[in-house]
Amino acid sequence: MKLSEIVRLVWLNLVENKFKVFLTSTGIIVGSATIMLVIAIGTGGKLEVAEQFKNLNAGSVDISYEYNGNSRRGNSSGGRNMGGMSGGGGNMGGMSGGGGNMGGGMSGGGGNMGGGMPGGGGNMGGGMPGGGDMGGSFMFGGTENQTNMVEIILSDEDVQELEDGVPGISSATISYTTRQEAEGGDLEESTTYTIAGVKDNYAKISNLEMAIGEFLTEDNDTNKERACVLGYSVAAEMFDSILDAYDSSVYIDNRAYVVSGVLVEMGTVASGISPDEAIFIPYETGIKYLTGKSVSPTITIVAEDVDEVEDIMEQAQQVLTDIYGDNVVFTMSDAGSKMEAASKSNETLTLLLMAMATIVFVVGGIGIMNVLFVSVKERTNEIGILKAIGCDQKDILIEFLLEASCISLVGAVLGVLVSLGITPIIESFSVRVELSVWGGVLSLLFGVLTGTIFGFYPAFKASRLIPIVALNQE
Amino acid sequence: MGNNRIIDMRQINKGYMLGMEKVPVLKNVDFLVEKGEFVAILGPSGSGKTTLMNIMGCMDLADSGEYYLDEEPVHSMAEKELGAIRNREIGFIFQNYQLIPTYNIMQNIIMPLVVRGMTTKEAEEKCMPVIEMLGISHRLKHKPAELSGGQKQRVSIARALVGEPVLLLADEPTGALDSSSGKDVLELFGQLHEMGNTIVMITHDLNVAKAAGRIVHIVDGCLEQ
Repeated sequence: MKLSEIVRLVWLNLVENKFKVFLTSTGIIVGSATIMLVIAIGTGGKLEVAEQFKNLNAGSVDISYEYNGNSRRGNSSGGRNMGGMSGGGGNMGGMSGGGGNMGGGMSGGGGNMGGGMPGGGGNMGGGMPGGGDMGGSFMFGGTENQTNMVEIILSDEDVQELEDGVPGISSATISYTTRQEAEGGDLEESTTYTIAGVKDNYAKISNLEMAIGEFLTEDNDTNKERACVLGYSVAAEMFDSILDAYDSSVYIDNRAYVVSGVLVEMGTVASGISPDEAIFIPYETGIKYLTGKSVSPTITIVAEDVDEVEDIMEQAQQVLTDIYGDNVVFTMSDAGSKMEAASKSNETLTLLLMAMATIVFVVGGIGIMNVLFVSVKERTNEIGILKAIGCDQKDILIEFLLEASCISLVGAVLGVLVSLGITPIIESFSVRVELSVWGGVLSLLFGVLTGTIFGFYPAFKASRLIPIVALNQE
Repeated sequence: MGNNRIIDMRQINKGYMLGMEKVPVLKNVDFLVEKGEFVAILGPSGSGKTTLMNIMGCMDLADSGEYYLDEEPVHSMAEKELGAIRNREIGFIFQNYQLIPTYNIMQNIIMPLVVRGMTTKEAEEKCMPVIEMLGISHRLKHKPAELSGGQKQRVSIARALVGEPVLLLADEPTGALDSSSGKDVLELFGQLHEMGNTIVMITHDLNVAKAAGRIVHIVDGCLEQ
């Protein structure tokens, strides 16, 4: 029998039983839609992670210091300066020492409890990264009782020492954040913004790009000039357009700063300063006009080779210990392990969804098998007639197998359409869904394959029916 | 021997297992049909005529004995070859027509040719003369359920004829028909016989059997010629 004729017969049967075909294919519809969405959500998650970490250099390590003595630490805010725990942007700074106080929420989840540090009065130095944050904080240093009682402000000199003392560093910078009222442009009243005091190389290390103008220069810094670079959202809030923002003035703490540039939009980031929401000013300028001595800077060093990050962290700790003595602990957090943990959790999610899709497919496949068995039973007489007029086993096997494949193809196509329909609903729960042609092809393939595999046994059974037995079955 | 012998059965035995016991159904059956003959096999139910028909139609194999259909040794063939023989050499006409309900009349009629490897288009062209001869050309797009019994049997006869088989095998062809339709079908058989077709008809009805040129009785698995 010609294949084209078998296809014609299959078509005839499917058209005769449209509703049954649809019902049979529901398992495959759900399965294909699931596969499609799993891939889309997985890809979305991956892109999300990549985007959230785009301001982080894979080889970068943040070094900060948490002072445990009586101090004004409490006000160090947001962004990078969070005593080593970036908890999704919340401020977890303040912990006054000595009083059995627990600094920073210690929610579990992958946090590295480096050094444990029983502080003076049951003080817990450094926070643990919260569940949302992906670990990667390490604490080096002693386990002596009185740690971090010395007040240390990291400085340019420390950066220099690190650059000189640790081989394998490609660049290093120092920065801090503070929150200050600012006004300018079309703003009707002053608003509190994150102000970041940064060096000229910060833009490069944090992968910032300019939409207009230039980033802050070394001269800005050494001359303590009042220049600033606006994050995209800040510029959009203050001015009609970024063109308007450029070269105009912004008032921070009632002092005018010239806008030397505006950044391109970066979107949400997983850790560090959210560039869209910040105003960048020269490091020294900020110290002079805004923070004075009450600053808690973070040094960021970037390893030339991502694989050397751990060595570099140890060496950096050594260099700092040489400067400040054994009794201090610096909080170090490296971007690489954060990214790794983030993509790992994403992979776990994808795997979980894949497992779900597999189950759905198996259930759908068994559904198809079941219906095909019933169909073979119903059409036993027809099979008998076909055999009586000389149709051979192979033709009957192919016909029933093709039917199974077609039913599952219908299901798979509908499944892909369903997934397209569901996507906006999922997105409304702020889950990122990245549909792809590749995902579509794969879910079609999986759908058809499932139907064909599960359809094989009933088709085989049909092909093996004995002609006279089949013919006499009513 | 010549090539005029369409059916040549020698010492055919066939039995079925009934529990632990083997019940013989056909006993040492010898049966010859010459080309162009119209033979009726007459017997009551349980006489073994359906079993004989199945073996004759190459749908079942004998336990022992030899069967040559148009000189081909059917008794030593495997199911795959038997299928091909059924398709080429035999046209079946069943009591209950055995039409495929989801296919229309045309699709039912052309099936033997399509199974043989023709395209639908080729097969439709080839079977037109048969369709016209049987007077069912106005019913081709209908489904079997929309036809009367007599018309269904004509469709079934058309399907048996399109493959140009050497043998037409009819199993109680009038059994499900009223007497006037039955008479029509028998007249049609007469015409087909006159046209040179070899026909073997199985029936339990002597009046039907009388339409044939030769009547063979089957009683308890034995042929009485």
